[in-house]
Amino acid sequence: MTPPLLEIRQLTHRYPDGNGGIFDINFSISKGEFIILAGKNGSGKTTLIRHLNGLLLPQKGEVRLYGQNILKDLTLTRKTVGMVFQDADTQIVGDTVFDEVAFGPENLNQPREQIKAKVVGLLERLDLIGKKDRNPATLSGGEKRRLAIAGILAMDPEIIIFDEPFANLDHPGSLSLLSTISHLNQKGQAIIMATHDVESVMNHASRMLIMDDGRLGADGSVTDLVKKLESYGVKEPCACKIAASFPWQP
Amino acid sequence: MAALNPFMFRPGNSLLHCLDTRCKLFWVCMTSLFILNAEFIACCIFLGVLIVFIKQARIGVKDTLRQLKLFLVFLGFIFLARALTIPGDPLVFFHGFTITRQGLNQGGLVALRFFLVMVTGLVFSATTRPASLKSAAQWMLKPIPFVPEKRAAVMISLALRFFPLILQQAKETANAIDSRCGNLQKNPIKRFVRLALPLLKKTFLSADHLILAMEARCYGEDRTEPGFEPSGKERIFILGSLGFWLFLFYFQ
Repeated sequence: MTPPLLEIRQLTHRYPDGNGGIFDINFSISKGEFIILAGKNGSGKTTLIRHLNGLLLPQKGEVRLYGQNILKDLTLTRKTVGMVFQDADTQIVGDTVFDEVAFGPENLNQPREQIKAKVVGLLERLDLIGKKDRNPATLSGGEKRRLAIAGILAMDPEIIIFDEPFANLDHPGSLSLLSTISHLNQKGQAIIMATHDVESVMNHASRMLIMDDGRLGADGSVTDLVKKLESYGVKEPCACKIAASFPWQP
Repeated sequence: MAALNPFMFRPGNSLLHCLDTRCKLFWVCMTSLFILNAEFIACCIFLGVLIVFIKQARIGVKDTLRQLKLFLVFLGFIFLARALTIPGDPLVFFHGFTITRQGLNQGGLVALRFFLVMVTGLVFSATTRPASLKSAAQWMLKPIPFVPEKRAAVMISLALRFFPLILQQAKETANAIDSRCGNLQKNPIKRFVRLALPLLKKTFLSADHLILAMEARCYGEDRTEPGFEPSGKERIFILGSLGFWLFLFYFQ
């Protein structure tokens, strides 16, 4: 079995007002996995994923990257664990598409020529090269999401976390984004996707974690857990319901 | 999709697009200083030069004027104030006010000077990549002691990045208020408070998210140094500008 990239041990984070938070979370992530993180609103998905690249620090327990506590090297953690936020508008820092992708490598103090080559390569890969001088505010929702992904990929992460990536996207935009994410996974990047829309991604994912009131309610394969989704307040995919209504069962 | 404001960068290949930002920044500062004291003929000639730059940079003149209409109203006020307050040969009397010939000349000249400075800034920002502007600001602040030039440069860049976003949020908030008959409220102070509070809240929330996004991508002071790409035309441009500044100085 592949050794885990990231291990989460007894992770607990309680908010000062007493609402929300996560409690005693344990799981690990291996190279190339595609994990769906499901759960109803307020179940602790965002709090959990913000711990994985050190944006929030645990009050109890620890997160280990390559077997080492992430607190020992937060820069390495943030470089290795990329995070695509729910609202692309507030994630985009650069004034042009090119500058946005260059922001991460510039923070890592990489040489200017290397940054240029990397940015051009990524913009070509994500079909944004023709818009490299455009202001990100003038891009469509799907393009902004692709730009946010390019900004993360420029830092060569091994794990990419997506927080509700399909929010505010139309159907073609969602399909195109899903194809990009699936392609990244096939190239070896581990994906963690916090989403309500399990149906769109269930065929691509190998594993599902379900959060329930700040605790890890279930951890297993998508096929095993998909039937339990509704008991955790998450919509069961229509395809599964239709299949269940057939008189014959596979 | 957000609409472009007139000050946003527009990609292109004009002379101003190609020039090194440090050179352009120096040109804008010097020209603005000379224009503020220039006479009418010099202002008209400079207006001609600006029109050439605007055409070359493919900035839509009509669109720009439409978006600058509030500023033009402000210039109108300056013109009126000057026309009504400067003593001289009376031209028109009404309701106890006198418009003088000298007032009209002075008002027109001051309004024209302000207009030229504004358009110079607009031409500069529309032809300069914000990242280059940030780099030029960092380069210029570097020799000044006790000024954290990298931090200041990032602040400039973020302000440029977020200004259109705040304008867009203000528009959305105003629409949300009007869609629930908020436009029936005639008291301007109450209207302002209704708009300002949610807008401030949204802006602070966006700032919080932005900090997280920057932290997530390892933002720090020790970043890759800015790069400049001089086109080789800078010397000729500055020599030409020097001649123009001397001309402006002569006409003062």
